[in-house]
Amino acid sequence: MSLLAHGIGGVRDLPVPETFFFTTAAIVLVVSFVLLGALWRRPLLESHSGGRLLPSALSAFVLSWALRLVLQAISVGLLGLTLATALFGTTIELLNFAPTFVYVIFWLGIPLLSVTLGNVWSALSPWRAIADATVWVLERGGNEARPVLEWSGRWGRYPAAGALFAFVALELAHPRPAFPRTVGIAIALYSYWALAGMAVYGRDAWTRCGEGFAVAFGLLARIAPFAVRDERVVVRWPFTGLGGAEHVRGTLVFISVMLGSTSFDGFARTSTWQNLVGDVRADFAGSSVRVADLATTLVNVAGLTAFVAGVVMTYLAAVWSARALVRVERSLVSDFVLPLVPIAAAYLVAHYFSLFVIQGQFIFTLISDPFGKDWDLFGTADFAPNLAIVSPEIVWYVQVAALVVGHVAGLAIAHDRAVALFDDRRAALRSQYPMLALMVLYTVGGLWLLSQG
Amino acid sequence: MVRVRRNVIVASGGVLLLAAGYGLAACGGDGGDASDTTAATTLATTPPLETTTGTTTLVTPSVETTTTLATTTTLEQEELTEIRIVVVNGQPKGGIVRKTLRRGDPVVLVVESDVADEVHIHGYDISKDVEVGGTARISFRATVPGRFEVELEGRGVQIADLTVLP
Repeated sequence: MSLLAHGIGGVRDLPVPETFFFTTAAIVLVVSFVLLGALWRRPLLESHSGGRLLPSALSAFVLSWALRLVLQAISVGLLGLTLATALFGTTIELLNFAPTFVYVIFWLGIPLLSVTLGNVWSALSPWRAIADATVWVLERGGNEARPVLEWSGRWGRYPAAGALFAFVALELAHPRPAFPRTVGIAIALYSYWALAGMAVYGRDAWTRCGEGFAVAFGLLARIAPFAVRDERVVVRWPFTGLGGAEHVRGTLVFISVMLGSTSFDGFARTSTWQNLVGDVRADFAGSSVRVADLATTLVNVAGLTAFVAGVVMTYLAAVWSARALVRVERSLVSDFVLPLVPIAAAYLVAHYFSLFVIQGQFIFTLISDPFGKDWDLFGTADFAPNLAIVSPEIVWYVQVAALVVGHVAGLAIAHDRAVALFDDRRAALRSQYPMLALMVLYTVGGLWLLSQG
Repeated sequence: MVRVRRNVIVASGGVLLLAAGYGLAACGGDGGDASDTTAATTLATTPPLETTTGTTTLVTPSVETTTTLATTTTLEQEELTEIRIVVVNGQPKGGIVRKTLRRGDPVVLVVESDVADEVHIHGYDISKDVEVGGTARISFRATVPGRFEVELEGRGVQIADLTVLP
């Protein structure tokens, strides 16, 4: 509905005050230089990513097929409900279950769960559940469930990056991203993409490389202190899952879509961009609404693309300078891409924390009346969300804290990779100057976006 | 060597603490005096606005707010902030209207429009229809801090940007 909203809402945080901006920027700079000299000299992350086994009873429960079945059934039910409400419920965005569920509960809630609990999406994905059920039925019938084509891996994560870009373009560039029928068509299209991909290339290959949400949540889950190894749950230090290189092609572009889209969302709500879009609309004032909508969508897609491209270019510039400084022959692109994951997570928290806790409360009223037909299924239809649940000060503190934590984690992970790559400590340090500049750029840039009115 | 490094860490830790402390102090000062903080906590525990019950208000909210404003005598003595927006060809005349308010300010939003649409204040979730050549008047109290878009809902065109300071 709302022009330039994060999919839904039309409410924005107050800009971070100057004092917050300068203090945090100063902290970021000081921390960066201190870390550079003070961090460990031997790689630690990969060797610690194994973690410790959880008690076997707990592990067995978490990974049990029964729990998985229950979660998958709920998930498929929710997908069905969301699709049905989007297609047949009221067309008033905030009274329909689907927009708030998709843009707030799903798109902000699952990343939060992934960062804290690990790769929950492998058990929560409704598409994976449908594919699992199909395979089960086929195998019960005595058939062999085989992918139609072999996944060559040549495309890497580019299909997933494309899928995620399509979603963020709907969220951030479409003139009415929360219009229920639009959401319904998007869900149908994405379900087709996910299910057809799994049918053609197999469940695992498509989950790794084609299903955009699975890839995004899977990357974020590597921050989490929990992981599954050899059918057992392990607990480990957070961020240790991000050690090592990531050789899957397209990972840089994928992470850049995550980072670029969140920062574009911030930029799109500054008065600069709002006025630009307003001017474009004014130019088309004589034309029909559809033409004006198309023009704004194109302008927004261009902006979104520019932000994603900006992340890719700055990263490439940093690794190329690192390569020149250390004088290595091979590319370092796949070596330093994982440090961007905590920054992407930090951007998500910084931009969407308040939306999640404020708009998220509406899910209690919506679940009782998902179609907007004055039902009261669970007696919560009259629940009054507390819109002042977080003060602007708390939002500011959460925002700057997220950015600082993400920044420090990113630097430490990059450093860990550098000392693993280069035996010579000076070379390792030299390779980190461009990375440090890059991280400072992303963090202070993110902070600047938050401070813009 | 080890000792030197440790000292560096301790020293820089101190610098950081100082910086953080400075930040806290500065921001506290920036946020206003003690009475502001109390106001914030009260607001957090009580429902902020009668009209923000979500579902029902979207349909018939403005009537409620208008009556509340009219019956409260104290309100009439306060200075009412009027925000006037003229819509020409479905676009806000002179660009998006920006207004900064203080929390608690009583506001009246006046939208003169040459197109029929629905004026919607996000966050507060107040909407009111406006006819071709008509004027929509929406009165409300700015109780929730934040930045809120005002839109012509049917067109998805933003006409105003309200900032409510804490």
